[in-house]
Amino acid sequence: MIVAFNAELFIQLLVNGITLGSLYGLIALGYSMVYGILKLLNFAHGDVYMIGAFVGYGVLSLLGGPLSPNIALAPLIVLMFLAAMLVSGLLGVVIERFAYRPLRDAPRIAPLISALGVSFFLQNSALLVFGSQFRSYDSFVLGSKNPEFFEPGPLTDPVFVVNNVNVQLIQVIVLATTAGLMVALTLLVAKTHLGKAMRATSYDREAAAMMGIDTDRVIASTFFIGSLLAGAAGVMFGLLFSQVFHFMGFLAGLKGFTAAVVGGIGSIPGAMLGGLLVGLAESFAAGYLGGRWSDLTVFGILILVLLIRPSGLLGTRAIQKV
Amino acid sequence: MQTGGDIPEVPGRPDERDRPRVGVDEWVASVEGRREDRVGFARLGRRIDALLPPWARLLIFGVFAATLPFWMDRGDLFAYGIFTLIYILLGLGLNVVVGYAGLLDLGYVALFGFGAYFYALLSSEQYGIHWPSAVSIPVVVVSTALLGLVLGIPSRRLLGDYLAIVTLFFGQAFVVFVNAANPTVRGKGLTGGPNGIADIDPNDLLGYELTTRRQQYWFILGIVLLVLIGLHFLSESRTGRAWRALREDPLAAEAMSMPVNRLKLKAFAFGAGIAGLAGCIFAAVLTAVTSGNFALPILITIYAVVILGGIGSLTGVVIGAIVINVSFQFLAPENPQDNARILFYAVVVLLLVLAVRPWWMLGVVLGGVVVFGFAAHAIAEAIDPSWTAGAVVEGGRLAGVISDWVIIPAGNDRFANVAYITLVVAVLALTRIRGWWRTILLVPTLYLTAIVWETSFVEQPAVARWILFGALLVTLMTVRPQGLLGTPRVEIV
Amino acid sequence: MRKALIPILTALTALTALAVAVGTAGGSTTAAQSPTTSDRTLITCGRTRTIGVAAPITGAAASIGSQQGRWARYWVTRYNRSHRRTKFRTVVGDTQLPDTAQAIQVAERLASNSQVLGVVGPAGSQEVQVSTAPFKNGGLGFVSGSATRTSLTTDGRARGYFFRVVPNDDQQGPRVANYIRGTLRHSRVAIVDAQNSYSTGLSDTVQRILRSRGVNVQRESVNEADTTDFSSLAARIPANTQSVYIPWQLAPKAQLFGQALRSQGKRAVLFGSDGLFDPDSFKIPGSFVSFFPINLQSPIIAAYRRGPGRGKSELFGLPSYQAADVVGRAIDKACANGTATRAEVRRNINQTNITQSQSIVGFRIRFVQRPRGVLGRGDMESPANFGIYRINNRGVYVRVS
Repeated sequence: MIVAFNAELFIQLLVNGITLGSLYGLIALGYSMVYGILKLLNFAHGDVYMIGAFVGYGVLSLLGGPLSPNIALAPLIVLMFLAAMLVSGLLGVVIERFAYRPLRDAPRIAPLISALGVSFFLQNSALLVFGSQFRSYDSFVLGSKNPEFFEPGPLTDPVFVVNNVNVQLIQVIVLATTAGLMVALTLLVAKTHLGKAMRATSYDREAAAMMGIDTDRVIASTFFIGSLLAGAAGVMFGLLFSQVFHFMGFLAGLKGFTAAVVGGIGSIPGAMLGGLLVGLAESFAAGYLGGRWSDLTVFGILILVLLIRPSGLLGTRAIQKV
Repeated sequence: MQTGGDIPEVPGRPDERDRPRVGVDEWVASVEGRREDRVGFARLGRRIDALLPPWARLLIFGVFAATLPFWMDRGDLFAYGIFTLIYILLGLGLNVVVGYAGLLDLGYVALFGFGAYFYALLSSEQYGIHWPSAVSIPVVVVSTALLGLVLGIPSRRLLGDYLAIVTLFFGQAFVVFVNAANPTVRGKGLTGGPNGIADIDPNDLLGYELTTRRQQYWFILGIVLLVLIGLHFLSESRTGRAWRALREDPLAAEAMSMPVNRLKLKAFAFGAGIAGLAGCIFAAVLTAVTSGNFALPILITIYAVVILGGIGSLTGVVIGAIVINVSFQFLAPENPQDNARILFYAVVVLLLVLAVRPWWMLGVVLGGVVVFGFAAHAIAEAIDPSWTAGAVVEGGRLAGVISDWVIIPAGNDRFANVAYITLVVAVLALTRIRGWWRTILLVPTLYLTAIVWETSFVEQPAVARWILFGALLVTLMTVRPQGLLGTPRVEIV
Repeated sequence: MRKALIPILTALTALTALAVAVGTAGGSTTAAQSPTTSDRTLITCGRTRTIGVAAPITGAAASIGSQQGRWARYWVTRYNRSHRRTKFRTVVGDTQLPDTAQAIQVAERLASNSQVLGVVGPAGSQEVQVSTAPFKNGGLGFVSGSATRTSLTTDGRARGYFFRVVPNDDQQGPRVANYIRGTLRHSRVAIVDAQNSYSTGLSDTVQRILRSRGVNVQRESVNEADTTDFSSLAARIPANTQSVYIPWQLAPKAQLFGQALRSQGKRAVLFGSDGLFDPDSFKIPGSFVSFFPINLQSPIIAAYRRGPGRGKSELFGLPSYQAADVVGRAIDKACANGTATRAEVRRNINQTNITQSQSIVGFRIRFVQRPRGVLGRGDMESPANFGIYRINNRGVYVRVS
């Protein structure tokens, strides 16, 4: 059923799409960076994001739980972000060290399978340790004075209102954090020594190694940064949508990965653009087409984009070296 | 007996694998591969591969497989027998696409699903059509092959990973299509939506319906044997050799004026056809299909089958399917827990036997673990009796020993989680350190393994088997990326 | 060369030893039995009797399947604690919903496990459908705590084998529709199905009845398991919609949907099905849920919360406790003389008579003997039906009908 055009619905979907898109963009960055440097589809990335969300939840419940946190809301959220980013980043490094580094020279398919193995392992470890229940950040009432009466907390406060549509504080936080992380990452890649080394390694690993770049360290750093972003995305997810569970990484990973591909894998602005596109496509398809066909539409658009521009929107055409 | 004189034994540094190997070419890789093939299980595998001609291997497999129904009950025959055969068939099809032609097709499971759904439409009450298998199976196989051809067309444009992505979307889109979209055809949902299509006819052999599991098993076995023979000749044919050339180096193949695109499409169609065949059989033995049968975990399992055995090897696919399905079924929670427990401890000991040298060290380690366990148990009990008050889950004959040896606290949630995470860290650490420290760390790690098994894995066997499966994939890839019977290859830069 | 042979030989020996060990271990349970277990095979009960449990412990539906497994096993725990002479044990099969291939494997293996006398489960209606043939073949009766598709009993395919301790879609649907139309007097209703067998069945029934009674129904569809952002769905619900019927199974997702509606300023009343009866997760004030007329203060639920539930009541799994009770009583009765056949157990299940005070689901449990209307053999006799609960401002569930 097609709903007749109304501005309110359109703006609501736009706001949802942009929020969702920035989340996908953050996940896509991790995929994109790793792919750029190793030509490896890191299937375990979505699960790193899931672990990040759980770490955020862990911090929240250590500090009194969502209904009665012991400290003020702002430092609490900062702490959750920091812990999740740190743990996810380290996890990424460990995964690279044990599951991918031994496979540097193996056929292309071997690290892919190894990545799938890591993904299974993480997902089911989470199931074993955290159980199968959904864990809730309860962000709807987080920081509220009367959580037991379901009085909405400050995170859902409207910051501004466009055409009857509320833009909530949490959505602003997510957008601001994403933008901040993006700028930081761009600066890191463009201005620092590490960034230069990353670019060199991604251009030609062997040549970089011969030029005296410690490629192992560079790759480990790439994994650390990519996974750190995924961890941040995990906490954002928790704050936006409350429910975290062991299976959440799979679909988010798939979407983030899609975003990376559509934007042009290996390109940082491409990942962000791809994320926004996927988020918007999903939001509008769900809003205008309804649930039955929306996923198919999104997949269809993506397949078309890839067939028309195989290297993605902002990607450079891969030149095959002989 | 002749020793391996022609290849010099290079004392390998322990972390040799981890170094970036700049300048490794095919020759170095092939020498390394040959050297590797002279040790351990790989050597055994190679030996068998070299000693037995293909027909002998086929005969051994065929005879062994054919006797299965005589000593297995119905449930085991279904879970171990029929499903292994279906995995073999699926693995063989994927092997053509990935193993022979080197195309990373992540939408393979959708072709399998298409075959199953199409067969279901041709032989059920959904539209009241009941074609005999002799007609419906060929029709389904040919149409699945055609679909594979269509799906393969983007492969002309897309390189490596992009192909993987497009096919992955195709696979996901298929699941969404049959489950949610379910277009209405002739007043009925075409695919039955979430309910799927039920009451599918069994396969029939020229009009004789195969209703018992035994008949179905033998029927599928016959098909698998035929496919194996066909693929053997195909892989030795001109096309087979051209595929392998394509896999090794598409550019060189093109330079040799091989019709690269046509070869790729051919591989896609062949693989798809076999997937369609597997789909027909699957739908018939299951008697119902739903979208959940064709989700990503199945695809991953098929990939694991092909890769475990060694990409490009028919024997490898058969062995891979047997190993994966049997180990998976064996770890299934409906088995008596005692079996899984004995298997688990036996595998741990077996790994130790393979890994620990010299011999007396093995004795030291095993003895150390036993002593360590009793000591730790005694200390824990002395501090607080509740620390060891937990009960062994379905201990069977071993219950008494285990409860005196392993620390199982009463109400052990948090303890079990901490033990599990510590174990993961300890195992990772073990792979990094050498010498005496390793032996010393090995003892508490082994004891920790026992604790984790008794406190978490036994409680949740269904979860544990996926964890072990994931760990197995990673370990296998890092130890032997080419699979059990595959030949080692390097990416040529 | 000799040196190289040693590890291989030891490995082979070890493998053989392993095979022997496993063989003997397995032998104790498999070798003693006759090759095919069926209806009439006489099984010695002994002290410990076995109940099979088929539930989706892992996979996408793990969060609801593991509840069922825990509740069924909890019945066994309680039974074993209160009975000295006879004990029960469970054999749990993981059906990994939505992959029905696993469900049928589980059914085949439970059916050929001669220890198993009766089965609790499986969970989904499509799982029941594929499992019927193997269970029938092995003569096993199975009692589901969640498969509600009406045709499972009324088509007669599983007559005498399949039973359920939940009212079917055609009992729950009219009850909900009558409440929405008759009591609440709503005339603009949206229905959102969750794209699975359970949900589409209920949605179709409710939609049919509401439309026939002149209600303006808007039908939507969402994949509850895969969706995390419900704001787009919420945006599709017009602001003047009075109630939204959501027959879902994941209470946390319903909570999200409710929050999305509220934060868009929409006041429609949510109406959930039995799958959403979860006071821990679904607590949008003013919503309704249909569920068994249970006693929420029951000591068994409180004990479950403290024990296997780890602080949660997990009430979606509660009927599996009842199912285990039905199966367990039937086995006990069949085993009174020391031996039992599966046919005997099935007969006893069919003759189950559990009074309202003894049952945990809040109504008397007796199975239909003469099919009529929407009730087939295997369904429960009335008054087994759902009650309607309302969630008050503090998130407490209060029975209103």
